[in-house]
Amino acid sequence: MNNPLPEPFAHLTPYRSWALSTEDARMRRRISASMSEITDYYQTLLPEIDPIAKHLDKWPLAELPAEQKPLLYLAMMFMETAMCVEFFFDPDVPEALGAEHIELYAGRSEQLVNS
Amino acid sequence: MNNSTRPFADIYPEIGTGPVSTAPAVDPAFFEREREKIFRKMWVNMILREEDLPNPGDYFVRDIEVLDASVIVVRGDDGKLRALHNVCTHRGNRLVRDESGSCNGFQCDFHGWVFNNQGELAFVTDEQRFHHLDKPSLGLAKVHLDTWRGFIFVNFEETPSQSLEASMADFNQDLKPFPFENMVLAGRYRYETNANWKTTMNAFQESYHAAFVHKRSVRQCLEDDGDPYLASQRIKLQPNGNQSISVHLPPHDLTPTEMIAYGMGATFTQGGDGNVNSFPGTAQAQIENWAFDLNIMFPFSRINVGAGWYYVDAFWPVAHDRTVYELAFYFPMPTSAGAMISQEYSKIVLRDLSREDLFTNEVTHNALRSGAIKSIQLSDQEIAVRHQYEKVTEFCR
Repeated sequence: MNNPLPEPFAHLTPYRSWALSTEDARMRRRISASMSEITDYYQTLLPEIDPIAKHLDKWPLAELPAEQKPLLYLAMMFMETAMCVEFFFDPDVPEALGAEHIELYAGRSEQLVNS
Repeated sequence: MNNSTRPFADIYPEIGTGPVSTAPAVDPAFFEREREKIFRKMWVNMILREEDLPNPGDYFVRDIEVLDASVIVVRGDDGKLRALHNVCTHRGNRLVRDESGSCNGFQCDFHGWVFNNQGELAFVTDEQRFHHLDKPSLGLAKVHLDTWRGFIFVNFEETPSQSLEASMADFNQDLKPFPFENMVLAGRYRYETNANWKTTMNAFQESYHAAFVHKRSVRQCLEDDGDPYLASQRIKLQPNGNQSISVHLPPHDLTPTEMIAYGMGATFTQGGDGNVNSFPGTAQAQIENWAFDLNIMFPFSRINVGAGWYYVDAFWPVAHDRTVYELAFYFPMPTSAGAMISQEYSKIVLRDLSREDLFTNEVTHNALRSGAIKSIQLSDQEIAVRHQYEKVTEFCR
């Protein structure tokens, strides 16, 4: 887990534990995090998403090298935190069916990247 | 002449405008009638597409609890898709326990009988000790299967009382041209709720609730003073119970994340700006600030189409007070990381909004069960809810 992230994103290595490979794991991580952790993550990653996407688009998605995948996972984790910061002001969805009643299954792209 | 604030009652005068009885939502005996008169006769949308089972031997198992049934959908070595009861013809054991997979055949874990992937009985262990086994007649019991634009449906009637195509009615013109084949499964979700299937579904049949239920999650779309309740411009009700409701979203200031997501792909809250008729099979051309169409296949499944994406969902009745909501979201297969990151945003928005929609059901169901109110009041914007109660009651008579 402590391997540095690829350049030019090695400075994001402290956030490596957020680089979770499934939507299910990312959602569970989000709702178990504190709002201050989420806000810190969101603010740090916000300016990095476009550069990460541009960087990863050097490879076709199906051929993304293993060492680059954590960057993709970080960007998708950012999308989880975006709803919290921009709309909910809370790690979870307020006034909503509890997450314990939900099951998530992988789509094709998640299967492709994680295969 | 249409009343401009209540246009739909004039278009569908037979549906009426009075209060609607709560009995169909809370009476367990009514649910038993629904089971026999509606659920046993309908074409069941399996929330599954032909391309999900591309190769001979690929299979998928779905339990349809309301009919006490478990069905295997499998592509045989002959290339044909079949729906088979998941019940061994020896002594009735459940044959397949996995949810999906690929195989040449299925072996029962009770006494080892083997069925091939076309459902035929292929091998009986210790066969010589049986008396008069008529093996050709002991294949797995068949369920009718048909497809519509790649979507797999099954029907449990001995002989279906109408074809799948006939049951799709106006969708054969209005929805059929949508480019479903250009998209793949991006995410699948399953939610359990303790409420009647209609109470659950009714939260998804009008836009009126958005200003309250989604006051946080789509706040940016609710700031148009002239249209605070996102009043629907188009609601099309069909005689067989099918419905189509168009949802629009006013132009809005983008959040930083919406801006990132829009920059890399189609998104859920983006709407269909761009060329009119960019999205065939939708009502884009008829609706100002069109965002997506909710297409309800009576009684409880939907194929909802938007600007470059669609999602299929169903409000599976389990018991009179239990419902499973299942949703499958489809996007073009991303070829770049950027597209995948953008799609993730839409998935999360829809997932979080669905959880908001499902928040009121359980408490509403309990409140209705108390008997405190005997009827519900429905505005012209909620005519699809009214239409659903009318059709369910008509078919249960």
